[in-house]
Amino acid sequence: MSTKLINPMNETPVRVSTAPARPRSLQGKIVGLLDISKPGGNLFLDRLEQLLRERFQVANVVRTTKPTYSKPAPPGIIEQLRAVDAVVEALAD
Amino acid sequence: MLDIGQSAPAIPGLDLGSDAALIVFFETDCPTCRLAVPYLNKLARGARVIGISQDDQAATNHFTQQLATAFPVQRDSGLALSRRFDLTFVPSLFLIDHNGRVLRSHFGFDKAVLNEIAMQMRCPPVAEDFDGAPQSKPGCMSRHLEPKVDGEFAPAPASGFIRSVPASVIEVPDGEDLFEYCFRNFGDALPVIPPTPERIASMLSGAAVNPNEIIARVPPCYGEATVEKIAANAVMAGCIPDMMRVLLPLVRAVCDERLNVHGVQATTHFAAPLVIINGPIRNELGFAYRQNAFSNVARANSTLGRALQLILLNIGGARPDGIDMSTLGNPGKFCYCIAEHEEANPWEPFHVERGFQHQQSALTLFAAEAPHGVSEHTARTPEQVLKSISYALATVWTYRACLGFDAVVVLSPEHARTIHRAGWTKQKAREFLFENTGVPVRAYQDAPDAEGSQLISKYQEILINGERCYQKFRSPDSIHIVVVGGTAGKFSAVIGSWAAGPRGSEMVTYPI
Repeated sequence: MSTKLINPMNETPVRVSTAPARPRSLQGKIVGLLDISKPGGNLFLDRLEQLLRERFQVANVVRTTKPTYSKPAPPGIIEQLRAVDAVVEALAD
Repeated sequence: MLDIGQSAPAIPGLDLGSDAALIVFFETDCPTCRLAVPYLNKLARGARVIGISQDDQAATNHFTQQLATAFPVQRDSGLALSRRFDLTFVPSLFLIDHNGRVLRSHFGFDKAVLNEIAMQMRCPPVAEDFDGAPQSKPGCMSRHLEPKVDGEFAPAPASGFIRSVPASVIEVPDGEDLFEYCFRNFGDALPVIPPTPERIASMLSGAAVNPNEIIARVPPCYGEATVEKIAANAVMAGCIPDMMRVLLPLVRAVCDERLNVHGVQATTHFAAPLVIINGPIRNELGFAYRQNAFSNVARANSTLGRALQLILLNIGGARPDGIDMSTLGNPGKFCYCIAEHEEANPWEPFHVERGFQHQQSALTLFAAEAPHGVSEHTARTPEQVLKSISYALATVWTYRACLGFDAVVVLSPEHARTIHRAGWTKQKAREFLFENTGVPVRAYQDAPDAEGSQLISKYQEILINGERCYQKFRSPDSIHIVVVGGTAGKFSAVIGSWAAGPRGSEMVTYPI
C-alpha cells in the first residue's frame, strides 16, 4: 500500500520554444548588443562592437541598454532587438 | 504592429456598429494572457471586448471555460489576422473606433495601460495595485513568429494549463521512508513534514478561500501559488492552520512588483526577504519579539519564515543550485522573520508609521542582508547611541558606496528607551542618523577604481564633526527603525538592503 502526498512543487506548465538556428557567419548580419546597465558592461560591449566591425564585417551593430539590471527587459527593448540577427547580452560586473 | 491611426483589417463576422472595441489577441498557454483575462472580464462589463485565440478550437474552449471569459472569443484560423495586425507578442491589444481605426495598441500586460484603455472606453479602472499581480509583465511571442517544427507551427501544448485545478497526488511506494522521500524531492536541504492530504485538509481549514484559487504567481519562474500549494508548503514547514491568515497576504506581498522578488531571488547579492510582523496577530499566533527575536525561540517566526522560503523555492523556482546565483547566500534563506516589540517601543509601531491602524495587523517585507550587530553599553545620550549605529550604517553595501540602498535599524528596547527619554521622536532619531552617516572624502583618495568611487559626482558632500564626508543615504526615509528584542542588553542591529528604490527593491507593507 502506498502513501499519498499532495504535490507541493510548481506544476504550472512551462512553454517550451525551439531556439532559432545560429547564424553560420556574422558577415553582413545585424548584431544587437544589450547592456544590462551593470558597471563595466559598456567597456566589454565597446570592445566587442569594435571586433565585430573589424573582424567579422557585420552590417550593423544595434546598441541598447536596460533601464536596470535588477528587472526583466521591458517590452520596448525586446521589440527593438526583434530586428537583429543575433544578440549578445553583457551581464558584466 | 498596427499603430495609432491605421485602419484595422476587417475581422470576419464582426460588425463594429457605433462602438469602439478592444481586440485582444492571445495564446491559450501564455501565462501573461491568462494573467490579463480577469481584468479584461471586468472591462467587458461596460465595454466591448473581443478575444482572438491563436490556438485550435479544443485549446480555446478549454481556455474560455477555465478562465470564465466574459467576452466573445473567436479563433484566428491559419493566423491570418495575426499577420495582418502584424503582432510580435501576445497578449496584443488594439483599441479600434467605430470606423475601424486604431486608437491605441499595446502588447504585454500592464495595469496602467489597462486602466487607461478602460478610461478611454468610459469604464472604471479595472486593475488595482496590491492585488498580487505584477504591475506589468512581458508576454509570449506571437504564434505566427514561433520557430517552425517540421514545417508546421509549433503546436500548443495539450490544454492542461493549471488554473483552479487541484495539485497532483504523488504516491510514495510502501517501504519508502516518507521523510527521506520528501527530503530528496521537496524543500530546502532540511527535513520537512510530509504533505499528506489529511494534513493539508487541516491546514486549509485555516483559510476561508477556495483551495484552487491562485493567490499569486511567484517569480522568477512565475509558478502559480494556489491556496492548496501554499498550504502544502505550510505543512512542510510545520505551520499551524491559523498561520494561513498570514501566509496568504504574505505570498501576495512577496509577489508585489515593488519588492521585485524576481531580482532578489536571482541576484548574486546576499539579499533574502525579511518579514516584519506587527499588530495583534503577534500575540494571537505567538510570534517572538523579545529575546532571540531573530533566532530559534518561537514556532510562529520559524515556521512562517520557512514556509515563505519553501514557497519561493518550490513554487517560485529560485533554487540555490540553479537560478538563485547568490555568491555567498544568507542564513535568512532558511527563515527570516521577526516581529516588532511594540510593548517596548516608546513610539508608534512600525506598521502605523507605514499607514495602518494600530489594531490592524500587518506584515512588511524588505530585501535584506544579514543583521550587523552594534554594541553600545556605555553611552547615555541619544546622540552617542545613534552615532555608534551610524558607523555600522556607513558600511552598508560597501563602505565607499552611497545612495543606492536602504537600511533597517533594529533598535533594542534599551537603546530605544535611552533615545526616547531625552524627548526624541522616531523621526528625529532617523534624521540624526541620516545627517550623521557619511563616508569621509579622504576614504576615496587612495582608491579611484573602488566600488563607489566612480559615482562621487552624484554624492552630496556634508560636514560630520567638522570632517568632509559624502552622505551615505538618499534621504531619512531610506532608514527604517523598528524596535525588537529582549529588554536586557544594549545591542541593536543594522540590516542593509539589496539595490533599493524603483530600479531595485522597495519595502512593501500589507494588511493581514
